[in-house]
Amino acid sequence: MAHISKIVPAEGEQPGFAPGDRVRVGVRFPIGHYRVPHYIRGKTAVIERVIEPPAVNNEQEGFGRNAGSKRHYYRIAIPMTKLWPGYAGSASDRLCIEVFETWLERSPPEDG
Amino acid sequence: MTPRLDLLTRLPTDFGGLSAGRVERVEHELAPWEKRCHALADVLDFHKIINTEEKRRGVEALGAELIGKLSYYERWIVAFANILFEKSILTPDQLERKMDEVSTRFNSASAE
Amino acid sequence: MAKHDHDHAKGSASDYVPGFFEIMEMAVGELLVEKQLIGAHEIRRQIEVLDSRTPALGAKVVAHAWVDPAFRARLLENGRAACEELGITFYDDTGLIVLENTDKVHNLVVCTLCSCYPRPVLGLPPDWYKLKPYRARAVTEPRAVLAEFGTIIPDDVEIRVSDSTAQVRFLVLPKRPAGTDGLSEEELAALVTRDAMIGVVPVEFHGDCRSSQ
Repeated sequence: MAHISKIVPAEGEQPGFAPGDRVRVGVRFPIGHYRVPHYIRGKTAVIERVIEPPAVNNEQEGFGRNAGSKRHYYRIAIPMTKLWPGYAGSASDRLCIEVFETWLERSPPEDG
Repeated sequence: MTPRLDLLTRLPTDFGGLSAGRVERVEHELAPWEKRCHALADVLDFHKIINTEEKRRGVEALGAELIGKLSYYERWIVAFANILFEKSILTPDQLERKMDEVSTRFNSASAE
Repeated sequence: MAKHDHDHAKGSASDYVPGFFEIMEMAVGELLVEKQLIGAHEIRRQIEVLDSRTPALGAKVVAHAWVDPAFRARLLENGRAACEELGITFYDDTGLIVLENTDKVHNLVVCTLCSCYPRPVLGLPPDWYKLKPYRARAVTEPRAVLAEFGTIIPDDVEIRVSDSTAQVRFLVLPKRPAGTDGLSEEELAALVTRDAMIGVVPVEFHGDCRSSQ
């Protein structure tokens, strides 16, 4: 069946990032509840997987929001060597973690 | 970031990347009350009286000293009490009176 | 400590005196039931649910994936749906991603912020998983942590650490050990330990566990 065009999705309904995209975790340090550990703040990553379906922002969920304002979470991968100076393991070792869309921004191509 | 701001903005449970000792392979069989506490958490989440993220936030809000001094399920039940107070579901007075009542049941039963 | 059943012991004749936190737990539960915010039997029922979730469930999932390639593919595509095919209900809103160990990749699971764990399919996590050393170091030096479990991963194998922070939980699908071609699915499941499904140890087979032959 042909794809139906001219459908306008609601804001946040479709993922803003796709597998393979380079992204950066925000350099923000809000107080209050968060689910983005300090050790990944500001790090560059690659989108591994889009988690479906969109879900509530867990930082707001922690203060009682149980519904609404749903966006996507993304499983992102960060090389261990980029997380820890002097990482002792293999250069191919990676850290994967789920991050809510509002914590991610598009990152320019690899700059070494 | 200054140490003071790091203390403020890093959650006391955000352990990733901190230094720590060997992993000791400890485990224990849950005491009946701990299992009931875990079941209580699940039931509270089902009803969205206290969702799982609120529970996490409640534990974080205990602060580093209490987190270090209370055991896992002790942290949960204190967090639940605090959140129930915040939501005006219980008052501290109600909880204290009920705890006295429960305590009395055991004391009178065992005072033979 | 005297044993007592899962009901709130209403002044049993034993010498058991609950501690402060247990009294708090009982009091909170009773108040919530009195206020009709939760049903009187719900906690008891949920204890039954929890008791029915043990690593044996995860082991069955792993063994089935080892013997059934189509199931394995479905499991890797959607872990929760594949577990539900086997009758493992998920009583919460978590998803499950199953992480396949291969000759090139070894997976390890942690929750640095708290204790997220695939409870519907593995039961409750061990204390060490929830304590600081594992949570702090699994993401900084996974190879050293694995070595503390007696697991050495060669440098040409990538270690992939998954830090559970959101709605998805993780189950490691360990490599099937060599020499197990003749084992039944049940015998295979008996080899799979909880720690292998967290990713801290491999599944081992020493060729001497079979009851027949």
